[in-house]
Amino acid sequence: MRILRVVVTGNVGAGKTTFIRTISDTDVIDTDKKATDETAKLKPKTTVAMDFGTLALSNKDSLHLYGTPGQARFEFMRDILIENANACVVLANATRKADLLYARAVVELIDEQLQIPYIVGLTHTDSPSQELSDISALFTKVPITLVNVTDRISIKTVLTKLLEQL
Amino acid sequence: MINTSMLQDEIQNFVTGASDVQGAALVSPDGLALASVLPGPMDEERTAAMSASMLSLGERIGRELARGSVERIVVEGEKGYGVLVGCGSDAVLLVLAGAGVKQGILFLEIKRIISRLAPLIG
Repeated sequence: MRILRVVVTGNVGAGKTTFIRTISDTDVIDTDKKATDETAKLKPKTTVAMDFGTLALSNKDSLHLYGTPGQARFEFMRDILIENANACVVLANATRKADLLYARAVVELIDEQLQIPYIVGLTHTDSPSQELSDISALFTKVPITLVNVTDRISIKTVLTKLLEQL
Repeated sequence: MINTSMLQDEIQNFVTGASDVQGAALVSPDGLALASVLPGPMDEERTAAMSASMLSLGERIGRELARGSVERIVVEGEKGYGVLVGCGSDAVLLVLAGAGVKQGILFLEIKRIISRLAPLIG
């Protein structure tokens, strides 16, 4: 019975906290505070340290899920959390180009420094900023999939795809 | 409206006036600096973000471990202290002090500066 640490990262408003809240078996530990900068235009609260949730897998393994904050000033938290990660989910809001570029930068960082399995999850795909085929072109040779962060089955599918790489 | 120049003055006076205090920063709960006086090489943006992260984790742990409401969070290093205190519900104060400081006096001074800052944040 293994404990696998999965970090969920991505730009502000990509859906990281929601992802963990939707899938976690246990009550999610979160560190949300009232947003006071441009984040406030997107949503009232924002993660300032981390989210933590768990998911028991059918093979008796346990996933420990760590959500990072999205803003650049909290990058040190992402670095701390990802250092001990077994795998990583990078979420990107498909309606925002900045998210897609951010996701690609994170993916490149993981490739260079960590060599752990990862997957890019596109969220908010009901109204994407570009044709999804254009988006995929930004991520050649990168595992990428669509995900609905409010749907457990969608999240389980992403995690299964990710863990297959382990 | 928060008068940031008054906040800055208060922080500056505090750092200059209290011996063994090396720096201080007033930060929003989501990690943005409102006013700060920090030693040269420290990055204000990161320091502010770290303070917010630290306080939120400390509060969360305090709740989880049934410690009651958290009064302060202290990082005690070889070379000195970092103390985090809530300043009303809309700000966090970080104080950096040297290793030689007397904790009791430091905490008292921090209480005093908080009572001066709180009405300015309103």
